Amino acid sequence: MPKIGLHTRIILLFLIVSIGGLMLLNMVFQSKQEEIHGAIKRMELLERLRGLRQYSHVDSVQAQEIMREYDAAKALLNVSLGDSRVVTSVVLFLVIILSSSIFIVFIIRISKPLRELKHATDQIRQGNFSVHLPETGILEMRELKNSFNVMSRELETIQTKLLVAEKEMIWKDLSRILAHEIKNPLTPIQLVIQRLEGRLESDPESIKDIMPESVSIITQEVENLRLLAQDFSNYAKASQPSRELFNPASSIREIVKSYSQNYDIQLQLAEDLSIFFDKTHFYQVLTNILQNAIDASQDAKPITIKLYGERSYVVLGINDQGSGIESKDLARIFEPYFSKKSKGTGLGLALVKKLCDANGTIVRVKSKPGEGTEFTLIIEETTA
Amino acid sequence: MLELLGAKLYTGIVALSLLLFSSFQGNDPRLSAITVQKSENYLHLSGSLISAFDNDFPSIFSSGTPIPVHFMLQIRSGGKAVVQRRFTHTVSFDTATGVYELGKSGTGEVYRSDRVEDIIREVSRYRFGIPYQADWGSVSIKIDASLPRVNFEQLNKEVDLMVLWKHKIPSARTTADLRRAQ
Repeated sequence: MPKIGLHTRIILLFLIVSIGGLMLLNMVFQSKQEEIHGAIKRMELLERLRGLRQYSHVDSVQAQEIMREYDAAKALLNVSLGDSRVVTSVVLFLVIILSSSIFIVFIIRISKPLRELKHATDQIRQGNFSVHLPETGILEMRELKNSFNVMSRELETIQTKLLVAEKEMIWKDLSRILAHEIKNPLTPIQLVIQRLEGRLESDPESIKDIMPESVSIITQEVENLRLLAQDFSNYAKASQPSRELFNPASSIREIVKSYSQNYDIQLQLAEDLSIFFDKTHFYQVLTNILQNAIDASQDAKPITIKLYGERSYVVLGINDQGSGIESKDLARIFEPYFSKKSKGTGLGLALVKKLCDANGTIVRVKSKPGEGTEFTLIIEETTA
Repeated sequence: MLELLGAKLYTGIVALSLLLFSSFQGNDPRLSAITVQKSENYLHLSGSLISAFDNDFPSIFSSGTPIPVHFMLQIRSGGKAVVQRRFTHTVSFDTATGVYELGKSGTGEVYRSDRVEDIIREVSRYRFGIPYQADWGSVSIKIDASLPRVNFEQLNKEVDLMVLWKHKIPSARTTADLRRAQ
């Protein structure tokens, strides 16, 4: 059922009450006029008088004069009655047309600012707080628009403050994470250097004994720093997808190859599927989820990757039997910088979510602490 | 031109108003097709008014006041009006004798009857003879009928009889070639 706006309701109400009332009045008036018209028709005084012939000459002249006046009056009444009925109808018609026109113009003048207000409210809803309305129209509308403008200005100020505060908060958060992540590898490096300095002062000859271990630690921690930088860079760079059609089964096999030597990864892949996805993004998504599964798995428990078609979608499931995720943390695992791992930036799964969104893919996660976690990607099939 | 448009608009408004808001019957007059006959020197035009006097007119005609009915004739040749004449049929009534009298200015005929139906039939018919010139060639002929404002002297009151025709002016048109042999 179509929506009936305020002004349409007012117009309908006006038509029903006002015009209906006028028409009712007209009907009553016309019916009374009809009665009078009928009564005039029945007035046959003339014929009866004409039939009387017993007048004296003077009476006869007088009677004829009366008859003439009577006939003229009857004719006049007929014409006047007709005239009044025509005039009534025309006046009613013109009143309806004129009042409806004035009313419609008035309603348009009222509803136009309301439409402007609705449009401006939509702008506010979409986050454009800079919208301002010209304070014109009738007094009530001017006041309403003024209130709206005050509100939008206040919202704009609040939005600006919020943006500044949000930026500041993000920078603080980022600085804290970066400081923490950089400090972690720096501490062992610093300890190794202090140990080397100590040896150099106390027993320079034996420095060769601890050198390989020290170099190994420093190399490892530098590698950690490089990976950290890589993670931040990947998240920041997540570019517009360049989607293409490819067979996901062969891509998965290729990606998993390098992990298969050290971990038990079981593949159940349907071969005849194709997806429309950015290949680089697909690699990043799969490796991030797989790395999480590996990190969570203990005692060389297997990780299963399933690929199958379901309706018009391709479903990719990555299932580990690791430590699982607490239900309170599940809702936050895709947030940037959220991590429960001792070594992690919290950007891996945030990147997964970002890339899946960019490629029109839904990512879901189910987990039970102590039993494992299953990530499911639902990808639209061949939507080229 | 503007006057004609205004009249047509007013007639339209009246007709629509009455249709929507009134049970007033009145009359819906129209003119029949014009019959054109050509004699050596005259152009004879005839026709009749239809449904013009059925309602209300019996009492109007019997009022004793002479009631004129005008026929306006216009003949145009080559975009120019060559004839513009008004003919009038007048109905009067003798209250004492109950006899109606109809005079036709176009032909000078006088018609009497004590039956209003006969008078209505006769007042509706017209026949005009117009002298013509053959060099008018092809002409367009237009006849309009109308009712005037009438003063009822007994009551000293003037009324517009066009109300009874709902302000509609019946009109008929035709063309004739005066060069063609009859």
